[in-house]
Amino acid sequence: MKLHRISTAVIAVATTLALAACGGGGQNSSSGGGGFTAEPAEGGTVHVLQNADFSYLDPARGWDGGVNNFFRLVYRQLTTSAPGSAEDPNEIVPDLAESLGEASDDGLTWTYTLKDGLKFDNGDPITSAEVKFGISRAWDPGIGIGSPYLKQVIDAPKGYEGPYKSGDLPTIETPDEKTIVFHLKEPFPEFDAVLAQVNATPFPVDSGAGDEFIHEIIASGPYKLAEYVPGSTIKLTRNENWDPATDEVRAAKPDGWEFTIGLDPATIDERLISGQGADVNAIAGNIQPATLPRLQTPQLQERVLEFPGICTTYMGLNTTKKHMDDVRVRQAISYAIDRTTIVNASGGTQLGDPSTTILPPSVAGHKDFDLYPSEDGTGDVEAAKKLLDEAGLSDGFTMTLDIRAQESMQAQAEAVQQALERVGITVELNLIDTATYYETIGTPSQQHDAAITGWCPDWASSAATFIPPLFDGRNIYEKGNANLAQINDPAINERIDEIKAMTDIEAANEQWGDLDEQILEQAPIVPLMVAKGVMLPGENVTGLYSSANAATGGIDYVGVGLKDPEKG
Amino acid sequence: MPRFLLTRISSGLVVLLLVCLFTYLVFFALSPDPAVQICGKNCTPELIDQIRANLGLDQPFWTQFFLFVVGIFAGRTYGDGASTVDCAAPCLGYSFQSSQAVWDMIVQRLPVSATVAVGAAVLWLLAGLVGGLLSAVKEGTFLDRFTTGLTLTSMSIPNYVLALVLQYVLVVQLQWLPFPQAVAFADDPVQWFLNFVMPWIVLAVGYAAAYTRLTRANVLDVLRENYVRTAYAKGLPQSLIWRRHALRPALTPVVTIFGMDFAGLLGGALITETVFGINGVGKMAADSIARNDQPVIMGVTLLAGFLVVVGNIVVDVVYTAIDPRVRVNA
Amino acid sequence: MMPSQTDLTAARTTGSAVESGTGDTAEAPAADQAAGALRAGAGGTWQALRHDVGAMLGLGYIVLVTLVAIFAPVLTSISGWTPYEFDQTAIDPNLGGMPIGPWGGMGAEHWLGVEPGSGRDIFARIVYGARVSMSIALSATALTTVLGVSLGLVAGYFGGRVDLVISRIMDFLMAFPALIFMIAVLSALPASNRSGLLVVVISVFGWPYLARIVRGQTMSLAQREFVEAARAAGASGTRIVFREILPNLRSTIIVMSTLAVPGYIGTEAGLSFLGVGVVPPAPSWGQMIAASVKWYAVDPAYFVVPGVCLFLLVLSFTVLGDRLRAVVDAQEGR
Repeated sequence: MKLHRISTAVIAVATTLALAACGGGGQNSSSGGGGFTAEPAEGGTVHVLQNADFSYLDPARGWDGGVNNFFRLVYRQLTTSAPGSAEDPNEIVPDLAESLGEASDDGLTWTYTLKDGLKFDNGDPITSAEVKFGISRAWDPGIGIGSPYLKQVIDAPKGYEGPYKSGDLPTIETPDEKTIVFHLKEPFPEFDAVLAQVNATPFPVDSGAGDEFIHEIIASGPYKLAEYVPGSTIKLTRNENWDPATDEVRAAKPDGWEFTIGLDPATIDERLISGQGADVNAIAGNIQPATLPRLQTPQLQERVLEFPGICTTYMGLNTTKKHMDDVRVRQAISYAIDRTTIVNASGGTQLGDPSTTILPPSVAGHKDFDLYPSEDGTGDVEAAKKLLDEAGLSDGFTMTLDIRAQESMQAQAEAVQQALERVGITVELNLIDTATYYETIGTPSQQHDAAITGWCPDWASSAATFIPPLFDGRNIYEKGNANLAQINDPAINERIDEIKAMTDIEAANEQWGDLDEQILEQAPIVPLMVAKGVMLPGENVTGLYSSANAATGGIDYVGVGLKDPEKG
Repeated sequence: MPRFLLTRISSGLVVLLLVCLFTYLVFFALSPDPAVQICGKNCTPELIDQIRANLGLDQPFWTQFFLFVVGIFAGRTYGDGASTVDCAAPCLGYSFQSSQAVWDMIVQRLPVSATVAVGAAVLWLLAGLVGGLLSAVKEGTFLDRFTTGLTLTSMSIPNYVLALVLQYVLVVQLQWLPFPQAVAFADDPVQWFLNFVMPWIVLAVGYAAAYTRLTRANVLDVLRENYVRTAYAKGLPQSLIWRRHALRPALTPVVTIFGMDFAGLLGGALITETVFGINGVGKMAADSIARNDQPVIMGVTLLAGFLVVVGNIVVDVVYTAIDPRVRVNA
Repeated sequence: MMPSQTDLTAARTTGSAVESGTGDTAEAPAADQAAGALRAGAGGTWQALRHDVGAMLGLGYIVLVTLVAIFAPVLTSISGWTPYEFDQTAIDPNLGGMPIGPWGGMGAEHWLGVEPGSGRDIFARIVYGARVSMSIALSATALTTVLGVSLGLVAGYFGGRVDLVISRIMDFLMAFPALIFMIAVLSALPASNRSGLLVVVISVFGWPYLARIVRGQTMSLAQREFVEAARAAGASGTRIVFREILPNLRSTIIVMSTLAVPGYIGTEAGLSFLGVGVVPPAPSWGQMIAASVKWYAVDPAYFVVPGVCLFLLVLSFTVLGDRLRAVVDAQEGR
């Protein structure tokens, strides 16, 4: 649900999908040529080529697909997502904690025990006090701008403003050096996933005030910061104080990492194609659509790596606006939309799949259905016209679509425009610059009739971070609103509460899938597509698995390594 | 002379202050609330207020502007209490996107922009002067007409189109040049040079054409002047006439215009840097505009304005030094 | 001629807003000299131009583009595709939406090929894009001319404090990093009416270059006998400026305006190229070139078509302006 720090995240993670930062689920299916699942050798340096700089190195601030994956190399939390290579990479597993949390019977108290031998990169031990301190930073109004879940779930005293301003957080107890106890506002069966959020990272007590972690960090993971030139390079070297025996998630085979930032997407593709020098050890995000035609040689085809998408691109229909408040009109739009043109405008079938559901196939709870079917997904003009006739809009009408001034989103909007013109709906595009786009559409008073945006789950082990933020009518905020449709249907709200309270996650997931269908019957949004990942890693890189939670469906860094550390 | 210099500097400062004010005003009036932008999605009204207070955005316009100008000369401190940030002079503020000091960002990228600008300048000066002189000497010949045609063509080709043509022909088809990518000079001088060949050409072509025309026109004008005709009539050797009488006055305007053009370039060759993906000041400006990163745009605008104003003053001084005719009061 | 300090400064200021090297910079002083044709009969100018192959070719192309722009709907009804229509059969969904067929899908169906990703007809987009390029450049030229001439006349004729203020504004605008500022303003303002905004922004930074020259000439004209005579006859200042001086500046204004058009075409395309031009899906040549950057290696036709159209248009105006000036110069007896 992270739409935060968009500009950075988008470019860093998925070039085609103009989503914000997300962090979701996905199956582990690296396809294409073989060589990416071989066990990496020890040593060498992995190079990462990227366009955008990381939003923040401070995990209490940064929270997006681009930086979360990086955080996984330098920070640890009580729990974390399983490595991309695991059988179920969406699963939340213990990290600093010996095991997942133990909940009290009322579900309000959660207890964790730390492993032995945990240290920061400066050699200081990581005890419950440091974990608690790190977590309490999330409440600092200036710093805690990252993931909101800790603040939403843990029962902090009213007016608590983090350790620097308000001091101790009494609702997290540390009875001894190894034990840490959390008190929640209300039961939250998926609390383990909340503690896997990046802002639950431990830090030495009293460190990290103000801008301390802007340029320097205190690492708890297998790597530490060796060099950071903002907008240019980040180099990581081994953290000698990290004990591999305490970490089952991070293979951490390479000796170091080098991130080259500020490269043009075209330059990145060009370098990966030619694969010269150190670029054999390089990985990067999605390739550009224009690069696809150049990958048709057998040598390059062998290096193509494909990952399923975990984020849904959709068009939200603002149900408070004239015409949009009529369910028949929304259904007509759902019928009229031509998903083939949308996918093609976004880079074609290799980079995206049409989507007729809210939940993408790789997120737990996905149910396959299509309420507004048409031949080849090109739209059912007749059905749409019929519904518009019923609504008394046979002559059509004009609507305004908010879009981000960004190439692929403009292309999608133009495709929508074309499709709706067929049923007499004139779509006017309202271009909003990339920096303020999400803020603007997240402000109901500034929203127009519709907007194209996307959503990724924060953890893909359930739909709990997908459906409620988008469709819970009690979550319509004046600012930072995610319920773009502004739909407030008591039946949906009630279902959300019921499913959220279920402790059997698997049963809950099935119900989320049904709710998906129930919601789309009212057509508050039109799912458009799910963007897929197509990458071209260097020939010497291996251990490439996708992680929905840690990498927003991209490569999970923790398993990556080199086949031959001497090369490049 | 010192008095003239003083006048020029003070009027330059006024221009700079106005540039500053104008830019600040436009952003103040037009820009969406930066505090909301920084705050992001999980925002609360309190958080916005906090950010506003930290950045001084809660102050009235004139106070903000005053603090900004003072910050440039004396540095300033943001925030209060536990989380203060010192911004040393020259303080242009912090990027909303990367939280980096704008001044550091500019300093980091300036060498690249300078490399592009200097290389292009050398290229266009050489081409412009040689082309213009040849054209003037051979006035009316095929060479002259060819040069004139070439300059008109060069002036008309938009540089991003030229960039694409060059990339397609030299990199994709002929493979004479590598795909441009950043390499440090120390690591691989040859690669470094080859990388900059295309940006240099693209940036220089338009100017080279303009300078060719200017040089040609000036030289022809001077050759028609009475004193040059007299020199010919007196039977002075041609080389001497050229050196002593024709060349210097003919080239003076070129020198002055060059100063200004060069200063303008340092502020960032936006399009050239963008199209080749060169991480210079120009590309930074273009990127910041897309992200509405107001402090960075302000910083680059000011830098560009500063360089133009300084270039102006330097040129005036040089001009008075090399052309005695203008040694007059302002 | 002893240039005043102000004139010097102005002449040297970077003229061309977009660093497309249209050469405004170096042109300014040259134009200064060229200007001031006092007795250039329009008929004589046309006679001289008619025999100039370059000027006529340029004029021919300009007329062609103008006609194409005017009759865009007719042309697209013949070619069969509107500029917004998607054609999924013309692209390969499996190759990133690359056009099917050589030369970007050129053929009987799509005369100039199609756009990757959408399959929109490039001929139709070029034809409609000509409307954008021409209308913006010509409107900007008109507005710049009105602003530049009137302010230049006022400053030059009345002198004193008025002149000081106007000259300072000109200095300021010419010292301003115009391109960065234009982009910033355009990106900050709502995108609803970009075309109008483009015209205004281009003109605001464009008028001083004309005003400076008009001012200089007005100053010298104001000393002439016929102006003195008019003044002695009791004519008002406004009347002298518009009835006596303005007609004498006609050639200068025509030459300067013609020379300004290519710069504005380039600026519009440059701003569209940088993503702050006209709002999509309205086609513009600059925007088409910007979109083609990513595809240059696999679909060169995509940038060649709009690139050549744009280049020829700029070249035509440049050559025409250049020849026009030469003719005016010659008539003036230089």
